[in-house]
Amino acid sequence: MEPYRYTLLWAAGTVLFIFISSVALGAIARGIAQRCGYSRNRLEDVFAGYAFAAPWIVGFVLFVVAPVLTSLYWSLTIYRLPNPPVFVGLANYAKLLFRDPDFRAALLNTLYIAVFGVPAQLVVALALAILLNQRVRGEGFYRTAFYLPVLLGTNAAVLLSWVFMFNANTGFLNQILRLIARAFPPFQELLRLFIFIVESTNAAFLGIQTGNFTLFQRVWQAGLPSPERVPLWLENPLWLKAAIILLLVWSCGNMMLIYLAALNSVPPEFYEAAQVDGAGPWQRFRYITLPLISPATFYNLVVGLIAVLQLFEQPYVLLRDRPTLAQSGYTVVYYLWRATFRFNEIGYGAAISWILTLLILIVTLVQFRLERRWVHYDL
Amino acid sequence: MRGKSWIGWLIVGILVLGACQQPAAPSPTPTAAPPPAAPTAVPSPSPAAPAKPVTLKVLIVDYVKDKTDKWLENEVAPAFKQKYPNVNVEFIYVNWGTLDETIQGYFAAGEGADILNLGSEYIAEYGDRLAPLNRYLGPDAWPEIKQFIPATLETVTWKGEIRGLPWLVAPRAYMCRTDLLKEAGIERAPRTFKEAIEQARKTTIIEGNALKRAGIVTTGKLDDWQEYIALIWALGGEIYKPNGEPAFDSPQAKAALKFMYDRRRAVYPDETVADLPPATGSRLADGTAVCIWGNLWGAPDVKDPIWEKIEFVPGLTDPENFPNSKPVVQVFTDWLAVAGYSKNVEIAAEFLKFLGSAENLNRYNRDFGSFPPRKDAQTGYVQEAKPMITMAQLMAEYGRGFADIRETAKFREILQKQMSAYFTDQQDLDTTLKNIQEQYTQVLREAGRLP
Repeated sequence: MEPYRYTLLWAAGTVLFIFISSVALGAIARGIAQRCGYSRNRLEDVFAGYAFAAPWIVGFVLFVVAPVLTSLYWSLTIYRLPNPPVFVGLANYAKLLFRDPDFRAALLNTLYIAVFGVPAQLVVALALAILLNQRVRGEGFYRTAFYLPVLLGTNAAVLLSWVFMFNANTGFLNQILRLIARAFPPFQELLRLFIFIVESTNAAFLGIQTGNFTLFQRVWQAGLPSPERVPLWLENPLWLKAAIILLLVWSCGNMMLIYLAALNSVPPEFYEAAQVDGAGPWQRFRYITLPLISPATFYNLVVGLIAVLQLFEQPYVLLRDRPTLAQSGYTVVYYLWRATFRFNEIGYGAAISWILTLLILIVTLVQFRLERRWVHYDL
Repeated sequence: MRGKSWIGWLIVGILVLGACQQPAAPSPTPTAAPPPAAPTAVPSPSPAAPAKPVTLKVLIVDYVKDKTDKWLENEVAPAFKQKYPNVNVEFIYVNWGTLDETIQGYFAAGEGADILNLGSEYIAEYGDRLAPLNRYLGPDAWPEIKQFIPATLETVTWKGEIRGLPWLVAPRAYMCRTDLLKEAGIERAPRTFKEAIEQARKTTIIEGNALKRAGIVTTGKLDDWQEYIALIWALGGEIYKPNGEPAFDSPQAKAALKFMYDRRRAVYPDETVADLPPATGSRLADGTAVCIWGNLWGAPDVKDPIWEKIEFVPGLTDPENFPNSKPVVQVFTDWLAVAGYSKNVEIAAEFLKFLGSAENLNRYNRDFGSFPPRKDAQTGYVQEAKPMITMAQLMAEYGRGFADIRETAKFREILQKQMSAYFTDQQDLDTTLKNIQEQYTQVLREAGRLP
């Protein structure tokens, strides 16, 4: 059959299916309403309402509810393609939670990135928003420049550019750091301190993950690194997560926009009144700006944490050619992808996705629980 | 005539590889010298020509960008279309990092590329899911198959059926720049573990805490899992015990890994030294590496005069501690298979025959810097280029096929993870080997390869 005829046939079949399912759903709804004793006019309304809503309802059931339930079932099976699934109860969950050190590592990596990455994003986004909120010349240009990473997205081409920029020896980032460090010796000292903090923190973290603190002891005993040292972004397990966090911060343009809108909505008379009362810039920021933009902070925090818990593209691209280091940069979703698509372990992958769903749910619920303590919706 | 003698070396070299593989099919009779068969340009017309238009999708992983891919698209596909006007050939290019998941995706979906480019060790992983091709490529259906070196055919045979066509043979050895060795006061390329560590230390140059020249380069940061296996073999060890269990509790496995760690420390005194910048060509040619371990893809062009200053070493050994150790040249036979789900098995087999002609294989392997797996394709550059001749000789004497690696994808991950943890001082040698042994045993058990 010609390909276009095949496509047309499918399109016609789809339309027919939508029509039939709409009429059927409307009829079922009317039947139920009839049993409930609805009037004739009301029955027609019920029929029309459900018939018109049916395309969405059917789509939702077919493409959301059914896959969700299927994945729940698969998570209770050993399903290694091309073999059929075999029901094993909660065995996948037990293995993930108690016997899979790699999953534990992925989970801890994700939490690490969330704990350090999201606050870093919030701080940088807020700082940029405050800067852009100043009335300066070229304001539009700066806004565009800082929002550009969001437009570019975290697609493979952009991430591959970052791979080159992250090269420890000749990459753009380290070249700039070297240049500044040579020109301003105090910066060099700051850089050494930064390197020491990142490496000792990550070495301690790896120690917690593996139960072996040899690397941490080495880093700690070595003390401040030599003046020639630069970050080893994608070359060392102590730097992989830092590189990923840097990428997150780079793409915080959406958070910045939310903050910018929130800053614009703070009434200027509040600042004027505070100034009259003798409040300095820091006090105005601490006691007026921060509380009044707290709904924006809350929104950014919730959305940011959910996004980080689902982090995939960055480790996927950055770690592709570094298989020996990849483990220290695995995230939960990367691990899910690895189980499902690299090893075809569909059941295990489904169990990972359900654990991730629960994790996101718990983290979000905790945030909503704590929201009342620090988010102010009233002016 | 000088070149002709090396053909013999080459053939003998590739033949010995067969002895190291698990025979999956009755072994064809080895041939000591190439029969005088004429190169084949185009196979004879076949009744397989489809009546309706067909698009044949070919997944390629072994290609040189803008070279082999252009040849496939601009010459091979049109020539095949001329023979089969109803058949369009489309090439899909992937890299080794994405090959596994791409193929797994195809098999999971039951559709994808008709022809798959697979690596040397893949037959045990995918054999059951590939189309049996004896009726198309067996000696009765296609007499030219007899031109293929038996060892390479064993690499592609599973349960007595040919599952694909070998299309390149790539041996790996050590290559060192003698001029750079002499600069460091070293007379010859290292042969033993001890010499290799000394050479790596003396010839490495670090400036500003970054590598300017590495004494030895493999892949990554001297943490190539395939080299680790070659070193175990070189010490007389194996990766499986006779009962099928992994053998990473052997003294050879321990000594090889310890050597790799010590050599890494000779190049990177600690893990804070920044690596070499990305390669823009051959590291041997530009002098950023003094020695490399690999095949001829990463080496200078075979016609480059720099070869006058390059010394080949088949492999490294440790005769002090392992008197029976012998260098090993690891040989990879990559191949093209027809997926079991393909609806175009017959025409795919026709395409393999077409691509597998002596001329095509010679042309492809010339561009790729590898050896053609057909005896009658061992002409031209194979006989003329010095590096090819030397590699052929080494392969003849020290070659061992990289095959029969069970549960490859998981095994590779386990090795990479554990080696990295050891090399970056996150765990000690004994823990590393214990973890490899336990985790790989578990993987083999889950896959039903161990009781």
